[in-house]
Amino acid sequence: MASKISLKAKGKAVKGTEERSAEKCVKEWSNWAMKKAKVIAHYGFIPLVIIIGMNSEPKPHIYQLLSPV
Amino acid sequence: MGSSASHAAAPPSPAPVVASPTTPPVGLAQLLHQKTKENGDGEGPPAKVDWLDLPCPVPYEELQREASMSLKPELFEGLRFDFMKMLNQRFALSHSVFMGPIEVPSQSSDVIKVPSSHYEFGANFLDPKLMLIGRVLTDGRMNARLRCDLTDNLALKIHAQLTNEPHFSQGMFQFDYKGKDYRSQFQIGNNAFYGANYIQSVSPHLSLGGEIFWIGHQRKSGVGFAARYNTDKMVATAQVATTGIVGLSYVQKISEKVSLASDFMYNQMSRDATSTFSYDYILRQCRLRGKIDTNGVVGALLEERLNLGVTLLLSAEIDHAKKDYKFGFGLTVGE
Repeated sequence: MASKISLKAKGKAVKGTEERSAEKCVKEWSNWAMKKAKVIAHYGFIPLVIIIGMNSEPKPHIYQLLSPV
Repeated sequence: MGSSASHAAAPPSPAPVVASPTTPPVGLAQLLHQKTKENGDGEGPPAKVDWLDLPCPVPYEELQREASMSLKPELFEGLRFDFMKMLNQRFALSHSVFMGPIEVPSQSSDVIKVPSSHYEFGANFLDPKLMLIGRVLTDGRMNARLRCDLTDNLALKIHAQLTNEPHFSQGMFQFDYKGKDYRSQFQIGNNAFYGANYIQSVSPHLSLGGEIFWIGHQRKSGVGFAARYNTDKMVATAQVATTGIVGLSYVQKISEKVSLASDFMYNQMSRDATSTFSYDYILRQCRLRGKIDTNGVVGALLEERLNLGVTLLLSAEIDHAKKDYKFGFGLTVGE
């Protein structure tokens, strides 16, 4: 009887750790994805706006990006 | 000279009388009917309200838009130079230089200022359906705004402030839905912030709304209610929230050029009540806004349009109680 209870307890513990590690995996991956998204947004947003702007009609010239006129 | 005198002497009323015999009697009847209708609108009862066709209310966050324009001008201290260059009708680059002291928040009542300077580069793309605004500073901070109209009624807004320091970045997603006479919005922010608000027109002049938010990390939540009554000449708003803030504001448009505003804010947590009175003069060449506070703070902002798209800015804010005097000047070139 004691061995059955201990087996049940072990089974629950193993299942619990599996669930918790699945949750941890999801959290880790989402954290990693958020970090990468943050870096991409930080460096890439303004170049993205510039590319979209340079391709809109009427197309401006490249020199207009740098000259103050 | 004789002809001009005769022109001046001829009264306008014979003209329709002369015209009417040439038009059929139905035309004359219509002309008279229209004239009486015009007279009737000025003196008779107002038009019947169509309760199923109410106007769309302003968005919830812009409830106090008119009041904020007068009461919270962008006062600054130091030198400010902004240059906005339009490459296109929709695409613009902006360069901005700032040199001056920046206030550092402190626990005591003393005001601590740190002199600093920065250069900010920005790119704007404004389309009717898509709006992208990005600004980056020399210390690596970036401010990004995106607004996209997914359908006619649904809009997505993203606002992010990213820094190089970890854990200091902030981001917010907002989904707006615009109905016939209501607007609703759902917000998701970092640090597990969730919020929703809803505003509905209940009459052609009155709109009521409410909001609810939940901050996950601090397990705080709050509910707020707002009301806005506006006519052509005035706007009155009231906001109450369970965070203990009560805010009332009133803006009266005296004429096309002048409007006056007043605002009352009560914070129950810190037992603070503040009232502000302000004026806004929009003249041909300049815009002058001034305000005075019950804390004894007086401030003013002058934007003078010199010729050819150059605007001079002068800003002043005087607080005798805290001995904080802020004077700033600047120039804005471009729009």
